[in-house]
Amino acid sequence: GEVPRPRGVSLAKAALYQPRSDGKWTCLDGSKTIPFTQVNDDYCDCLDGSDEPGTSACPQAKFHCINKGHQSLDIPSSQVQDGICDCCDGSDELPVVGCGNTCNELGAAAAIERRNAAELHKRGAEKRQEMITRGKQLKADRAARRSELGARIKEQEGLKAEKEQLKRNAEALENEAMEAFKEQQRELDAETAQAEQEPQQMRQEATLSFVRYDANKDGFVEITELMVDMNLDSDRNGVVTVEEAKYFLDERERVDLDAFVTLAWPRIKPQKMLAEGLFQPPVVETEQPKPQVPSTEAPQAPVVNDEQADMELGIDEHGHDGEEDNEDEEDQYEEDDEPDVGVGEATADSETSTAAPNYDPETQRLIEQANEARNAFDEVDRHIREIEHEIKELDEQEGKDYGRNEEWAVLDGECYTFEDREYVYTLCPFDRASQKPRNGGAETTLGRWDQWLGEGDKYSKQKYSNGAACWNGPQRSALINIKCALEPRITGVSEPNRCEYYFEFETPAACDSEAFQAAEQNQHDEL
Amino acid sequence: VDPTNFKTCEQSSFCRRSRKVQSSGSKYSLISGTLNTYSDSVTADLLNKENHHQFTFKLEALVGGTFRLQIDEKTPLRPRYRVEHALKAQPKTVTIRVQESDGELTVTSGHSKAVIHGDPFRIDFYENDVHVVSVNAKNWLYFEHLRQKTQEQALPDSGEQQQNVEVLETLDEPGSWEENFKSHHDSKPYGPEAVALDFSFPAAEVLFGIPEHADSFALKSTSGTDPYRLYNLDVFEYIVDSKMALYGSVPVLYGHGPQRTAGVYWQNAAETWVDIYTAETNVVSSLVNFVSGSRKSTPPAAHFISESGIVDAFIMLGPQPMDVFQQYTALTGTHDLPQLFSLAYHQSRWNYNDERDVTTVSAKYDEFNMPMDTMWLDIEYTDGKRYFTWDKFKFPEPLTMIKNLTELGRHLVVIIDPHIKRDNSYFFHSDCTEKGYYVKTREGNDYEGWCWPGSASYPDFFNPVVRDYYASQYHLSKFKTVTEDVMIWNDMNEPSVFNGPEITAPKDLIHYGNWEHRDVHNLYGHMHLMGTFDGLQKRDPNQRPFILTRAHFAGSQRYAAIWTGDNLADWSHLQHSIKMCLTEAVAGFSFCGADVGGFFGNPDSELLERWYQTGAFLPFFRAHAHIDTKRREPWLFPERTRLIIRSALLKRYSYLPLWYTSFYELEQTGAPVIRPLLAHYPQDKEAFAIDSQLLVQQRLLVRPVMQQGVSKVDVYFPAIDDKKNGDYWYDVDTYQRQERTGSESIPVTEYKIPVWQRGGSIVPKKERLRRSSALMLNDPYTLVICLDRQGKADGTLYLDDEKSYAYRDGQYIYVNYEFANNQLTNRFIGKPKYKSDAWIERIVIAGLNRVPSSATITVNGVAQQLEVEQRDAAVYIRKPSIKMDVDFALKLNY
Repeated sequence: GEVPRPRGVSLAKAALYQPRSDGKWTCLDGSKTIPFTQVNDDYCDCLDGSDEPGTSACPQAKFHCINKGHQSLDIPSSQVQDGICDCCDGSDELPVVGCGNTCNELGAAAAIERRNAAELHKRGAEKRQEMITRGKQLKADRAARRSELGARIKEQEGLKAEKEQLKRNAEALENEAMEAFKEQQRELDAETAQAEQEPQQMRQEATLSFVRYDANKDGFVEITELMVDMNLDSDRNGVVTVEEAKYFLDERERVDLDAFVTLAWPRIKPQKMLAEGLFQPPVVETEQPKPQVPSTEAPQAPVVNDEQADMELGIDEHGHDGEEDNEDEEDQYEEDDEPDVGVGEATADSETSTAAPNYDPETQRLIEQANEARNAFDEVDRHIREIEHEIKELDEQEGKDYGRNEEWAVLDGECYTFEDREYVYTLCPFDRASQKPRNGGAETTLGRWDQWLGEGDKYSKQKYSNGAACWNGPQRSALINIKCALEPRITGVSEPNRCEYYFEFETPAACDSEAFQAAEQNQHDEL
Repeated sequence: VDPTNFKTCEQSSFCRRSRKVQSSGSKYSLISGTLNTYSDSVTADLLNKENHHQFTFKLEALVGGTFRLQIDEKTPLRPRYRVEHALKAQPKTVTIRVQESDGELTVTSGHSKAVIHGDPFRIDFYENDVHVVSVNAKNWLYFEHLRQKTQEQALPDSGEQQQNVEVLETLDEPGSWEENFKSHHDSKPYGPEAVALDFSFPAAEVLFGIPEHADSFALKSTSGTDPYRLYNLDVFEYIVDSKMALYGSVPVLYGHGPQRTAGVYWQNAAETWVDIYTAETNVVSSLVNFVSGSRKSTPPAAHFISESGIVDAFIMLGPQPMDVFQQYTALTGTHDLPQLFSLAYHQSRWNYNDERDVTTVSAKYDEFNMPMDTMWLDIEYTDGKRYFTWDKFKFPEPLTMIKNLTELGRHLVVIIDPHIKRDNSYFFHSDCTEKGYYVKTREGNDYEGWCWPGSASYPDFFNPVVRDYYASQYHLSKFKTVTEDVMIWNDMNEPSVFNGPEITAPKDLIHYGNWEHRDVHNLYGHMHLMGTFDGLQKRDPNQRPFILTRAHFAGSQRYAAIWTGDNLADWSHLQHSIKMCLTEAVAGFSFCGADVGGFFGNPDSELLERWYQTGAFLPFFRAHAHIDTKRREPWLFPERTRLIIRSALLKRYSYLPLWYTSFYELEQTGAPVIRPLLAHYPQDKEAFAIDSQLLVQQRLLVRPVMQQGVSKVDVYFPAIDDKKNGDYWYDVDTYQRQERTGSESIPVTEYKIPVWQRGGSIVPKKERLRRSSALMLNDPYTLVICLDRQGKADGTLYLDDEKSYAYRDGQYIYVNYEFANNQLTNRFIGKPKYKSDAWIERIVIAGLNRVPSSATITVNGVAQQLEVEQRDAAVYIRKPSIKMDVDFALKLNY
């Protein structure tokens, strides 16, 4: 049976609402003693509002809806007797309001919902278990690979020292012969000699870069391999697009080492220099043409005009206000196709630079020996760099938090998309979030992997930060809210604050049957 | 703001020309023998003695101590514009007596008297024989008659050059027949047509009025600066302490001194500049007076300069501040009693993005148990800035969204701007194009400007047919995606034209009646509002419309509330919210507020807290923010901030019965809801310029904290006489009493809003918390009685259904409570016909010498004993439980 107690009081608190033998009652905070008849008499006597659990008289009071058949609920007194049915049993309003009792229906619906949710978590948790298994395997693989690479790099470093010595010896001989030969040739064109060194140096740089770019080690540099290099983000929108990357590959899908050296590198190098701050825009009037790079055609190096370079490098030779003309400069940057700067410029025919000069046979032999030694050294060096690169990647992955049981690891490398009226949104977990207009236009980075940010459950939210800067605003960022589902997908994207995006993402990785049941149990206990 | 986007007086040729008169003076005289005397007015011909052009002069006596002065050309080349629609009705005239002696004509009506001098022309106005206003005492009357254009006169003007050019006659000056500003050309086909006149206030020490400016309440001298400018403009990030024009123009100005207050309403809708002369700056004239032996310094004066139209001035003779405010509202009207919800808290932002966003924000207020009445949607809810349409993607089911709000007693307000997207597939545009409803260029084409939708045109609301068409768009049969509970925000109606001169419409556009935009500019927003108001009334004849407008003119208060436009999230703008609304309130616009938090920029939590506290005591209380700002709903800040804001909201809601009663009394009497101290303390000279404090009626004194990081504020308690006697003031939180007058340092916490209730007043409150004001309808009242030195107090309460026009049929309860001799009684004003379930739950009395043992309430001869309890410095009477329409007497027992 029901325990008699004033309206709005929960069963748990019923004992607190018993009159003393003299018919009086003391406020729960002890502040005052009043006749028990003044409890729920629609006048607020107690400072803590405890005398009016069933009316709206005390602004800070709570009303307890029993809601038999559904969950009981505490509502603020502001919602009591205001003409709106807030308790499903209608107990917060006077009968005249005519609130029906919807608790049984709601309770049944809630039970079904809970069962469905439990089922979802159960089935999802099975999938998650697979993800855990795979994640743990990946972790083990990484560890194995890491130790293997550690051993190999030691071995290669020994080899490298050896080859370096051989190279040094061969080069000493070569140098000697070259000096002698050069002495003879000094009367001849000095520039030719200089040009000799340049392409050689260029080739060496280009080769190293090729190795670095060729992430999958198939002997080709592909578009996707270039897209990771933010130095190639010509329009500075935070992402290297296919078009941008393709430009640097001479509009090809992929290039081998030779094509890379002759076609791609002359385009990429200025960007690199620019990025490293090495690039000094020459003053056209005074600068002599630079030594030329071997090439079969004049490569269309990305054009860097003076103003643009000033802006990028923070140099202000012309006393320009960098901000003011920002847009104009970008326009020029895109429209002006005429190279007017020496770096990367190549007008000479490749025949002339590679064919000359005619060494005497002995010098030629020493050069070839030195070349072989260099190549041998380069190869070892390339190996080491490859290994280092892979180690770095492994270490990065190892540094990422893939969840309590590595269940998130398999998502690294995957990408998911969501389309709304205007944009296609992409989320590549542990990498980046981006946005691309549906009607064409450049992709914009909304953020790069930053951290887990869930409150309570840390793994319920992800943050991607440092996206492309907004006009007149902050850098874009994205918050990913994660829910359990059987298949991974994005269910919604919004921009609640200017340049702050909010993704709804579902994945079995977030399904946890035990945690769900524990939460359910906990809630049940409270009731 | 970039001030160079807006004209200086020097760049505005008519201002430059008219201002020149200040050094030379003008020579006008009445022509003898042309005087005609009528029962309520006199007329005569007026002569410019320099060019012999003739004018007609008319002085009319109006009810309530007001004269109307009109001067027009006797035979103008074409009619000159006379303002329409600003007055609420044709003013009623009164009978006059006329006496002539020594070339002076004395016109008397009741306590008011005008003495007209023929040569030089001048009028002195007296209230009870005290000289309060003079017209043309400085001989700065300047009236450019219309003339034919001759070839030589067509000199263009850049506004800056030509300084050294000798000009024989000012009318041949550059800028007279065409004028350039920046890249804009004004063709000025009718040439010079300015009107200007000076008004002196011999009994005044301070001048105030002529909103809208982001400046102090007391007007500053314009000696050495530009005049105050009245020209409705969309000013981006406006600066404070400035005489620059803003969104509204209300050409009413008051002069106040310890004995007398008088005012002038300069009815002219063209661009207007107002020079201000104050006594303290006239050092030279003071010296002259001293040397010449005169003890009297030059009185403060104002020089009104308008680009076109006629002289049409209303001289209001007071004698006291409240009299003259009411004389002004008797002419131009007041805001009708608004629906209660519009006095509660409004939650706005540019923009709430979609239906879910609106629903979530509304639900969050419930989650944190904070009241909120109205959600607002800015321009982004529309389909591509086509008003009367919705973005169907973001708002697929607006009616459901609206229902979710109204079920909780909440409302929605949506924006409808006057710029119409030029898109042939947009019905409004095709209608206006086909029917010729747009404002025209000189050449007769539809004017095209640039605004939010891109290329836009502007309906000519001066045409009654256009207003009807526009009003009909609000009908639910046309605007099907809203309900009759959705109210309207009219923004950008100066009008704002992004690519126009000074971000508005060119002056040589043509309106209905063949008037130039030049003649009517400051009325454009007003005409827009007339259409909206009519539309909402016709949409639901039994619901009081709520409209918020940015542009406004004299009389716009009859249709809409105003806010102070695009302010900034900084402390100086917070301080100016009170200064600006006080000035607006005495100029008819009691229903005024500022964007809480500041429109541009991101307030820190302290600024936001203090802004909510200040906003809670201004009549229009809305948080709003620019689209580029961070979200700033209260729960996005630390808990402390949320609780402080919640506390400010609760305070606002608890005083809603006072606000509502005040607005009823505004409608009835024209008395401003918020008032400067001088309104009730006219003799306290130290109070004249105080604009960091305000009175709510004569009941509350509010001095919000508007400085960063302070632990105390200086509060000025005004004196009622020159002997430093003052009222008692009771802190509304503690009932601690202030008995001294003068400045007091008051400690404050972060929660504290320094507010006092005047001893002698009774304030009705509702102290229960609800989700929205509509849900408080039947909640019980608390009466707070603060006693004066005689142990007395009184105060009114008004209540009705808070929504419909039934109150016009007597469905209301209006009651005056009086406390004297330890007894509280009520007296109904009119029959209490409204049936209310509300009741009085509590009576608080502050200022009793002793604590009574009990109280006895007697209703219909039946007496009942009530418990009495002391809390803080007040006495609480427990639960009288009387219905609001019942006569009772409550006696304290000792």
